[in-house]
Amino acid sequence: MKNKRWFPVAYMFVVTVFFSAVIIGFSQVTEQRVKANEALAFEVAVLKVLPGLYDLNTGAVELHRRFTEEVQQPSDDSAGAYTLKQNGQIAAYALPFSGQGFWAPIDGVIGIEPDKKTITNIVIYQQRETPGLGAEVAQRKFCDQFINLTMAASDKPVVFRRPGEPLNSGEVHAVTGATQTSIRLEKIINDALKNWRERINAKQK
Amino acid sequence: MKSQMTQLAREGLWTNNPIFVQVLGICSTLAVTNLVLNTTVMCVALIFTLSLSSATVSLLRSFTPRNIRMMVETLIIAFYVIIVDVVLKAYWPQMSENLGPYVGLIITNCIVMGRCEAYGNSNPPGAAFIDGFFNAIGYSFVLLIIATFREILGMGTFLGHAVPYFSSEYWDKWIIMVMPPGAFFMLAIVTWIFRSIQLSKQEKKK
Repeated sequence: MKNKRWFPVAYMFVVTVFFSAVIIGFSQVTEQRVKANEALAFEVAVLKVLPGLYDLNTGAVELHRRFTEEVQQPSDDSAGAYTLKQNGQIAAYALPFSGQGFWAPIDGVIGIEPDKKTITNIVIYQQRETPGLGAEVAQRKFCDQFINLTMAASDKPVVFRRPGEPLNSGEVHAVTGATQTSIRLEKIINDALKNWRERINAKQK
Repeated sequence: MKSQMTQLAREGLWTNNPIFVQVLGICSTLAVTNLVLNTTVMCVALIFTLSLSSATVSLLRSFTPRNIRMMVETLIIAFYVIIVDVVLKAYWPQMSENLGPYVGLIITNCIVMGRCEAYGNSNPPGAAFIDGFFNAIGYSFVLLIIATFREILGMGTFLGHAVPYFSSEYWDKWIIMVMPPGAFFMLAIVTWIFRSIQLSKQEKKK
């Protein structure tokens, strides 16, 4: 049988079916967990940029509860941002953003105060930039620069400056050795902020 | 059996080390060695993939037609790598994110295919498993040496913890160590040292 011409084809077919079946079964078992992890990564990012909702020692279940109960889903009025309401007033916005990085998409969330000018925080929860270089944009050292940053009224709400240059209001330092990632991230963030600002100002006029 | 095992261990770890003797799998050596934690997970993934795929190739060796054996090998390797990838995504999403595409790239790691071809194809499953295991360990320890130096010199940390002196302002971080060229330098130095030791030992034997 082994010498038959059809044997290699049939053999390959059987082997492929077998291994594929095992993988399909395996990934179905873990599918929900994987999806839950992805969803939770986003929810945690939203909680982190909103004031007073996140602390390190909280478990996944509690974080998920906080997200579903305390954070308002995006609406037309918030121009696509998640909101946190306190006493019926909007206490903060959480605006998701995403776009193409150097290697793969970068996804994150920006927190904005009700004045729509001050950034409370920024979290990048999904990126595949170069480890040690571009990937530093997801580290607190870089992201902490956005805390209490006032957006410029111009076309570029946040300007990335070269590391070491003096900073004015609305400016942060880019990441050393990661020019490409920095350029792309600057554009992603500014596009998201500009777009949101236009929409929300139009809404409230 | 026992002497065969020590023989396989010695070959995988030292006399026929995949990195500095066979010079296989260099691609991943360059890619994942800038953080020790990432390297460790990568090495565990490789140990799992290499030993099991070598054993599986060996199990099927008497059925597999010679002309399509490479396809079958690739399929088997991909199978184990996808399992690792899914497990990481489900149970350690943080690490899965850190390693990104590199887990999937184990499929193309030349050591895995190399050992399946050189050993798994012509030896019983048990021996193939042990051979794969020790080759993966031989790969891992070299990678960990490279990663330790790269992380300390390039980022001033070890496993994410700040290392005294190297994380202070007295140490000007060698950014090149974090970038791919740093891996080339480290790899060359490590290969040079280990090969010199090997060669001098061989000289003495004569």
